[in-house]
Amino acid sequence: MQLLDKLRILAAAAKYDVSCSSSGSTRKNTPGGLGNASYSGICHSWTSDGRCISLLKILFTNYCVYDCAYCVNRVSNDLPRALFTPEEVVALTINFYRRNYIEGLFLSSAVYKNPSYTMELLLKTVKKLREEENFNGYIHLKAIPGADFSLIEEAGKYADRMSVNVELPSSEGLKLLAPQKKHEAIIKPMSLLSSKITERKEEKKKYKQAPKFVPAGQSTQLIVGATPDSDLQIMKLTENLYGQFKLKRIYYSAYVPVSNHPHLPNISAPPLLREHRLYQADWLLRFYGFSAGELLDADNPNFATDLDPKTDWALRNLHLFPVEINRADYEMLLRVPGIGIKSAKRIVAARQVGPLNYSDLKKIGVVLKRAKYFITCRGRYYGATVVEPEHIRNKLLAGSKSYQPQYQQLSLFSLYPDIFAADEQLSRITGEL
Amino acid sequence: MLDYIYDGSFDGLLTAVYEAYYRKETPERIMSEQCYQENLLSTKLYVETDTVKANKVYQAIKNKISYGALKNVFYVFLSELPEAGTIIYHYLKLGWKIGNQVDKHLTDDRVLTVHDISRKVGRERHLMLGFIRFRQLEGNIYYAPMEPQYNIVGLVAGHFASRLADQNWIIHDVRRGIGAVYNRKEWIITNIDVKELKFSEEERNYQQLWKEYFNNIAIKHRFNPVLQKSNMPTKYWKHLVELT
Ligand code: SF4
Repeated sequence: MQLLDKLRILAAAAKYDVSCSSSGSTRKNTPGGLGNASYSGICHSWTSDGRCISLLKILFTNYCVYDCAYCVNRVSNDLPRALFTPEEVVALTINFYRRNYIEGLFLSSAVYKNPSYTMELLLKTVKKLREEENFNGYIHLKAIPGADFSLIEEAGKYADRMSVNVELPSSEGLKLLAPQKKHEAIIKPMSLLSSKITERKEEKKKYKQAPKFVPAGQSTQLIVGATPDSDLQIMKLTENLYGQFKLKRIYYSAYVPVSNHPHLPNISAPPLLREHRLYQADWLLRFYGFSAGELLDADNPNFATDLDPKTDWALRNLHLFPVEINRADYEMLLRVPGIGIKSAKRIVAARQVGPLNYSDLKKIGVVLKRAKYFITCRGRYYGATVVEPEHIRNKLLAGSKSYQPQYQQLSLFSLYPDIFAADEQLSRITGEL
Repeated sequence: MLDYIYDGSFDGLLTAVYEAYYRKETPERIMSEQCYQENLLSTKLYVETDTVKANKVYQAIKNKISYGALKNVFYVFLSELPEAGTIIYHYLKLGWKIGNQVDKHLTDDRVLTVHDISRKVGRERHLMLGFIRFRQLEGNIYYAPMEPQYNIVGLVAGHFASRLADQNWIIHDVRRGIGAVYNRKEWIITNIDVKELKFSEEERNYQQLWKEYFNNIAIKHRFNPVLQKSNMPTKYWKHLVELT
């Protein structure tokens, strides 16, 4: 088979993995070597679905012995298959990198023969890149669940980032849709990687020379909408994964209908709005000091469709508002709808040299359309409404073009996926670095 | 009205700022001769570029204001906006008055304008780190044409010198006729005029592989060209291998 055909098949097979991030690594070029990492990551192109291309994202092979219902590569699916050689992956990576097409390689694989055999092939490839080609660009490597730990551990010496996909938010989901995958087989390598990463970080503090181990940390991905799990269950899992395993990122992938397995929902389009809400909430957890329990509870186990999670939270907690822009502390500013991290920081900086006027806030980047209901500026409230949830909710919704009464939105969503796919604000956030 | 006119170089601009200070004059505008448009009502002063004077101003920005301010000034200069000189002049005057806190005056228009332009230049630089595409030529030289809005070739060269350290490469700003040339040791900015390019044998092969990859990594259920274009403005598409 021609290299071009393999690339076509194995890129298409890898496209459902959302992560393409190349950030978080401090790897430097070596004398006579090729490449270095950019700590903040770099996007090289954007595909017609609006997602960033940063890494050459391919499967080593899509021959799979497993039969996960939600996956195109499942053994029972009839589709063209291909298998790279380590040399081919190395040549593609190096030549793409030299032309500045990519930041590096994201190598994953279906389970070929058995997990350890597959992991060995991946390991061989990255070892070649690092040791024979002196490649210092970014490498994200999948750890294949069920592979020998020693292989996974060795791979960690060469990769900048590693990931084990959680796949589904609950072990019941796994049982139903991926019977060959065991919950423990996923959790164990994650916890192994996590403890190794922490251990090496400690060593690095003592001896600068200690070799790298997955310096950009570990990430994971889970599929949303293939199982009946609620947003609350997902956010609880998210919180645990960030807390317990110190994950760098969790990616949410709206389930793309690829099969009509009886255990899978019958949908015509991926639930992009739900995916978007989960990313917004994930941000709130990581950077805004929120906990999952604040955003959702047993009575409200799913995110609202019409308002973002932060605004929704603020409306349920109106007793905390309005806050005075010139006095509120940074943590509280972050909780105001319409104020992001950048504008909160700017407010804090600008306040040091003089009090802020309402007209200054726009210059600083505050989205007044939303924020005005939740703030006062030099003691004055500009919301022109009664500070009550229903009033503010109506004002906010009247101001947003995309708002449709809920029943209509849901039916639109399933009937006309294109309308949603074309809405840029839905998945902007997933295209970040 | 008084206009200062400088030769378009960074040193020239800094010299103009120096002159204004020592002559105790307040020019209405500071403009490069390339952008200058005659105005019958104004008096003109042509500033002679003087590296010693320029260096004094350079040091005074760094030491009396901050390194961040120096970077802002340079980025605004590289924007090549006709009013860049005047904007920088007002920002610096404020900076010398209030010192290293100047960048916290986020609601002052003099500061805001500088930050805004500097951010745009920085953003284009960052985009270019991703969008630059090298083509392998005969003789194993890698050549990348680009047409950035701002004059940023000097801001991206260092990145590629450390990354593609073992390659000979050229980054060519086609519109300005200048480029960065690197010989596996050091890079310089120079005038460039390209006549004929001969691709290496494997170049077309890798271009085709890259296009194939590009077309197969998108998910058609998520088709969203609006988002694609907002992230990757079409004005940059011309030199992107995957889109030509
Ligand atoms: S093991 Fe991976 S590639 Fe194979 S069917 Fe399951 S999800 Fe797909």
